[in-house]
Amino acid sequence: MIKELTHEQKQQFGVPSMEQFSYDNLIVKNFAIATMVWAVVGMLVGVIIAIQLYLPALNLNFQYITYGRIRPLHTNGVIFAFVGNAIFMGIYYSLQRVCKARMFSDLLSKIHFWGWQLIIVCAAVMLPAGLTTSKEYAELEWPVDILIALVWVIFAINMFGTIAKRREKHMYVAVWFYIATVVTVAVLHIVNSIELPVSFLKSYSVYAGVQDALVQWWYGHNAVAFFLTTPYLGMMYYFLPKAANRPVYSYKLSIIHFWALIFIYIWAGPHHLLYTALPDWAQSLGTVFSIMLIAPSWGGMINGLLTLRGAWDKVKEDPVLKFMVVAVTAYGMATFEGPMLSLKNVNAIAHYTDWIVSHVHVGALGWNGFLTFGMLYWLIPRLFNTSLYSKKLANLHFWIGTLGIIFYVTAMYWAGIAQSLMWKQFTAEGILQYPNFLTTTQEIIPMYVIRSIGGAMFLTGVIIMIYNLYKTAKLGSFMANEAAEAPAIFIEKKKGSGEKIHRFLEKKPMKFAILATIVVLIGGLIEIIPTFIIKSNVPTISSVHPYTPLELQGRDIYIREGCNTCHSQMIRPFRSETERYGEYSKAGEFVYDHPFLWGSKRTGPDLQREGNKYPNVWHYLHMQDPRSISPGSIMPAYPWLEKQDIDIAGTEAKINTLRKLGVPYPFGFENTANDSLQRQADKIAADLQKNGAAVESNKEIVALIAYLQRLGTDIQVTKSAVK
Amino acid sequence: MSVIVVLIGASLIVAAGFLSAFIWAVKSGQYDDRYTPSVRILFDNKEENK
Amino acid sequence: MPEFSTKTEIKCYHCGEPCRNHDITIEDKVFCCNGCKLVYEILEENKLCKYYSLDEKPGISQSERKINTSGFAYLDDEQIQKQLLDFTDGKISSISFFIPQMHCSSCIWLLENMYKLNPAIFYSQVNFPEKKLSVRFKENEISLRKIVELLASIGYEPQISLNEVEDKVKSNVNKRLYYRIGVAGFCFGNIMLLSFPEYLSFDDSISFFYKNFFGLLNILLSIPVILYCSSDYFKSAYTGIKQKTINIDFPISLGLAVLFIRSVIEILTNSGPGFFDSLSGLVFFLLAGKVFQSKTYDALNFERNYKSYFPLSVTIKKSGEEQCIPVSKLKVGDRIIIRNNELIPGDAILFNGTANIDYSFVTGESIPVGKVAGEIIYAGGRQTGSAIELEVIRTVSQSYLTQLWNNETFVKRDEDKFKSLVNVVGKYFTIVIILVAALAFVYWYPTSIKAAINAFTAVLIIACPCGIALTSPFALGNAMRILGRNKFYVKNTSVVERMSKIDTIVFDKTGTITKSGDSNVNFSGGLLTSFEQRIIKSLARNSTHPLSIKICDAIKENELFETNSFIEHIGKGIGGKIGYYDIRLGSRSFVLAKEMEDEIDIVDMLNSKVYLSINNKLRGYFVINNIYREGFEEAVNSLKHEYDLSVLSGDNEGEKENLLRFFDDESQLLFKQKPEDKLQYIKKLQGKGKKVMMLGDGLNDAGGLKQSDVGIAISEDVSSFSPACDAILDASMFSNLVKFIQFSISTKRIIITSFIISVIYNILGVTLAFQNTFSPLAAAILMPISSITVVLFTVSFTNLSAKRRGL
Repeated sequence: MIKELTHEQKQQFGVPSMEQFSYDNLIVKNFAIATMVWAVVGMLVGVIIAIQLYLPALNLNFQYITYGRIRPLHTNGVIFAFVGNAIFMGIYYSLQRVCKARMFSDLLSKIHFWGWQLIIVCAAVMLPAGLTTSKEYAELEWPVDILIALVWVIFAINMFGTIAKRREKHMYVAVWFYIATVVTVAVLHIVNSIELPVSFLKSYSVYAGVQDALVQWWYGHNAVAFFLTTPYLGMMYYFLPKAANRPVYSYKLSIIHFWALIFIYIWAGPHHLLYTALPDWAQSLGTVFSIMLIAPSWGGMINGLLTLRGAWDKVKEDPVLKFMVVAVTAYGMATFEGPMLSLKNVNAIAHYTDWIVSHVHVGALGWNGFLTFGMLYWLIPRLFNTSLYSKKLANLHFWIGTLGIIFYVTAMYWAGIAQSLMWKQFTAEGILQYPNFLTTTQEIIPMYVIRSIGGAMFLTGVIIMIYNLYKTAKLGSFMANEAAEAPAIFIEKKKGSGEKIHRFLEKKPMKFAILATIVVLIGGLIEIIPTFIIKSNVPTISSVHPYTPLELQGRDIYIREGCNTCHSQMIRPFRSETERYGEYSKAGEFVYDHPFLWGSKRTGPDLQREGNKYPNVWHYLHMQDPRSISPGSIMPAYPWLEKQDIDIAGTEAKINTLRKLGVPYPFGFENTANDSLQRQADKIAADLQKNGAAVESNKEIVALIAYLQRLGTDIQVTKSAVK
Repeated sequence: MSVIVVLIGASLIVAAGFLSAFIWAVKSGQYDDRYTPSVRILFDNKEENK
Repeated sequence: MPEFSTKTEIKCYHCGEPCRNHDITIEDKVFCCNGCKLVYEILEENKLCKYYSLDEKPGISQSERKINTSGFAYLDDEQIQKQLLDFTDGKISSISFFIPQMHCSSCIWLLENMYKLNPAIFYSQVNFPEKKLSVRFKENEISLRKIVELLASIGYEPQISLNEVEDKVKSNVNKRLYYRIGVAGFCFGNIMLLSFPEYLSFDDSISFFYKNFFGLLNILLSIPVILYCSSDYFKSAYTGIKQKTINIDFPISLGLAVLFIRSVIEILTNSGPGFFDSLSGLVFFLLAGKVFQSKTYDALNFERNYKSYFPLSVTIKKSGEEQCIPVSKLKVGDRIIIRNNELIPGDAILFNGTANIDYSFVTGESIPVGKVAGEIIYAGGRQTGSAIELEVIRTVSQSYLTQLWNNETFVKRDEDKFKSLVNVVGKYFTIVIILVAALAFVYWYPTSIKAAINAFTAVLIIACPCGIALTSPFALGNAMRILGRNKFYVKNTSVVERMSKIDTIVFDKTGTITKSGDSNVNFSGGLLTSFEQRIIKSLARNSTHPLSIKICDAIKENELFETNSFIEHIGKGIGGKIGYYDIRLGSRSFVLAKEMEDEIDIVDMLNSKVYLSINNKLRGYFVINNIYREGFEEAVNSLKHEYDLSVLSGDNEGEKENLLRFFDDESQLLFKQKPEDKLQYIKKLQGKGKKVMMLGDGLNDAGGLKQSDVGIAISEDVSSFSPACDAILDASMFSNLVKFIQFSISTKRIIITSFIISVIYNILGVTLAFQNTFSPLAAAILMPISSITVVLFTVSFTNLSAKRRGL
């Protein structure tokens, strides 16, 4: 490895000259390997949960591989492990080259790599164990959240350090996309992860109900934007021209694309909450900004595709370009579909259905997946100084992968639209045609089968790729440090650069005015914010009370089992929904929900008004064996709930924590909470006993039943009171 | 809903940061040449043995 | 004449031009000339042959490169260095070169790898759109001269001229515009975000807080918009008023100011949500229009003056030694050496050698004039032939040429002579609007003072002529882009507008309507045998006289002979012995070697007849006619009905007959026009109220080009020097001239239509405003819709109009 000159050495030489240095390829290789390993893991879990949806027995009655727990494992695995490592691979490779500099610190690179893998391993252990915050794409508990923040900061230091010591004055547009990624993801992660620990592995979100939902989807949407989109756009702008060996179609457009995207993306989040208890104006805001996003997004897509203008013969030849073309096309489709889905009338049909799943997978499989594969096929031969082992296998991967996407996506569109239409179907007499939710589920099971086949095909393609790239690596020899040279950056000191600030202020009153405005703006906000976090302004409905200790324990079990991955708790103001589930949801009902549990997908029915719908024993039997109560149900059984004890040791801490967050438990209540818990549990146990289900009152099933029976009943109380 | 103030605040700060980045970029001449950099990245430093 | 039969065409490995001979090779690589081979060898030696794999045939043909015989010795002069260098600290220096030859990614790669050719150049960076190369080097290891020589040796000789030297200060106008649009975009986005809730109903009481909070944030965000982003409009309106004119920026400023003040008052008094989104959106769109309009062609220079053509240095002879000094140091009495193709920097007396001076820069006459020792040669002439020695009698700053070009009429440019349509419209618009607003005030005054103020301000706000202001930038900017795509490069958008008003077109002849290089050579006097052709070419190639060169080029025979006792009589002809043959080419009297009546002799020369005698026997004569540019005839035919056409030529009347084929009237053809005559002619036309477009190519047209309403420089190679002008037309696109003019006219029509559309919007808005039923929502919808309609309309219709004309 060629050592770089120290500052002192440079001084000795007096004048700058060509600097010899080397690129760190080892870190790129490591991230590449991690990308492939986690790709298999994440997608394998995906295939498993896809099969579980029509074969619920596949979890073998083993709680750690039940759908509700490993579905977040799949999303985390694909997003943060597969895509995350691919991002780092792409950034570490391209950033060094466009900056003409080795990474700022090899040590930081190493810490970043192993830190990130540690986070993933933590997720892989904690999520099946049921340790989750339940917030989608931010499920990890607070110690891991802190770890993520630390590793991310290390990554940021490493990246900005590299940018600072770059030898190429111009920052290529890709670098800007990377900067946007690093900065914004950090802000998003921190704002969304503000939570108060209850114990080492349990915390409650500081936000409640509607607020929590807003923050969550502000984060959720921007995570898509700044984790799955901007870094990939940056990589597209680097790897696509490299692979095609021609400059990007319009560099000017890429610059405009970047700035327009950055200034608009941030606000599109609320479209995830259309028709919810969120105020109308906030929902419409999300829609408007989502529609506006089409322009910059398509600018990027067109720029990518037109780069290949006149080189389509190359695309036929080169699997790398084939993957990239499909990736960019998928990006275009997804970014067109996204704004369409944020239109209220489209959203009314698509939300909670498999349509959204389809939409997400166009992005994940097509855009992220295929661009990653294209990058890998291009990178690995270069890292190992050889050429690809088998073009045929790469082509096979391409076709099997593309076919897999088509299978997956069409099946899910079909399933989504079919089910949604059934949900909304009324008979001539004005009653629901399919009052039983299960009928609509069974209708789409063939689609679930096709989906799992598509997913399996995609995974097969990945395995073929890994074999191909392994063979490629064997062919060549790895070059950990790639020699390079570039002129040292040299700053010309212009005369009279002293007193710059003073003159700047004096001469440019306008600029000073703007700066002052921004400062005032930020200052004002900082002053206002604390008063808001503490004091919630949401109108409380007088009949809405905090959860009892037993219900609270039940709610935490609901969270642990990931019930919210399949069941929403948010009834939209449509007749088809109020008819099916009951009164639509009000913002005031959720003021004590830390975190909110609205859910985003209805694989099963909504549970917002589940309380008092069925007797306790119905729930008991349903949990024991769902198919005994609802033949054909695809819900897994939860036999362990009957065996495991409620964690009453944690009750006191939970009450205390929630009180700190503004839930009005009276002082001292934490001391008697377990007594109250016991009383309520005994009552439910007695009721179950009476109906032929012998269960001890300290078992988890009792708590869960208590919670389910409470759901949505606060408003019913008022109504009956009024009557 | 009050959390929207926090979100707007955070978004504004991030956006203001990007605005200053934009102004810096224009000022420091990053965008004086809007073509050559796209060609420059295609050149590799190595391979002298052709 | 028999055609030279071509074998299968082999292309030069370096430049891709077809090779005439196949004997210049290295291994299997064939080169068209030794120059190309040399460049290849340099690159090969330095392992830079990747150059050839990056792009197809990247090299620049070296066969026609003018060899700069005097070299770059002048770059050793400290004063010149001082002027040229961007930066130096004694150890490290940096400099920027203009290199028009760069054309592909291989060029970029090679030029950015200069350090491999010489490590003392440790940094080299290309700005391709500007064809600029910035170089940083170690001063004590390599000299500026060496760098330039190195660049020249690989085929990238930089163009260095005084003009660039003096014009180092780069304008920051564009950057300021980008800051503004950045700030405006940021504020616009945020204000929109914070304003939307207002339109989507804050219904419950708690929302009251947000309403205030958002309102205050909006005020904060709109302050930079009004104070910074839109300051140019206020400034322009103010200057307008100071000059007692009302321009389009006046109603815009008025509208913006009223928008801002009324909005602030509404927020502070809690009486409404204000119009901040409209305000910031308007400014953003207006700035976007400005950016669209500000398209520039970085690599082209529309502002060159005579100094660009001037040499930076001159070789002087001092006590028997040759020495290179900057032209500025030239003193009266200095002996200077002028070599082939060099320009004479100051008036001087010919001392030694045969002068053959091409005065086309000064007079336009393209055929060189012979001078004998003792005669005065004026500055600006270009020597063709061998080196001559002169004694300076007047230095650069006072010499004839400088005096001529310093003539005020050449320099002064009355930028304001043209009133753009938009400002004319703006004036009447403003008056009408203020009247309507006043009327609204009076109408509502009886109801309440508040209503009156509301109506008054609403009229001013809604009437803010954003549509009108956006029309011109987008229509003209788009037209400019379309023209640029067709290799007609327009300096700025006002040129497009001016083009549409043209009623008179003046052409320069040489180089403009005739091609400078090509000509039609015909021999009358029977067929020449192949052998005769060969001996003629053998003789003619010894001379650098343009007519000799033309004859040489016309003969395709390649087997040539040695010429003995070659003689060249300036202004008369050439002669020599080839074997037993005594051949002469030239004027009639010369070839027959007998005195004839002078007059006839001159007339023959004027008609560009070159007589040939072999062994003192008149064999016949070559007639050398100019070739007119392709499409010239069609262009004239379609233009002559609607436009007054005329041709100004610096040459003699030799081409008159030919020109009369195209033109009906002799009075349209003027010959022997000096640059000043051309200028006066155009002035005269303008005095008659004509709007004149002039097409020219050389420095001798510069005065005319400047004086005319639209001056177009025709150029074979757009990145090389062209005189100061409003537009540069690639010579290959000459036939499209008619289309360009028609297109500019239709663009103007589109603008007028678009004005009407936006006035309709305004009437609609003003009606609402007058009735006091004008809400922020209406403003937020109406204003962007009218802007967007206008932009879409103008852009798509200009595109359509271009498409219909095949542009």
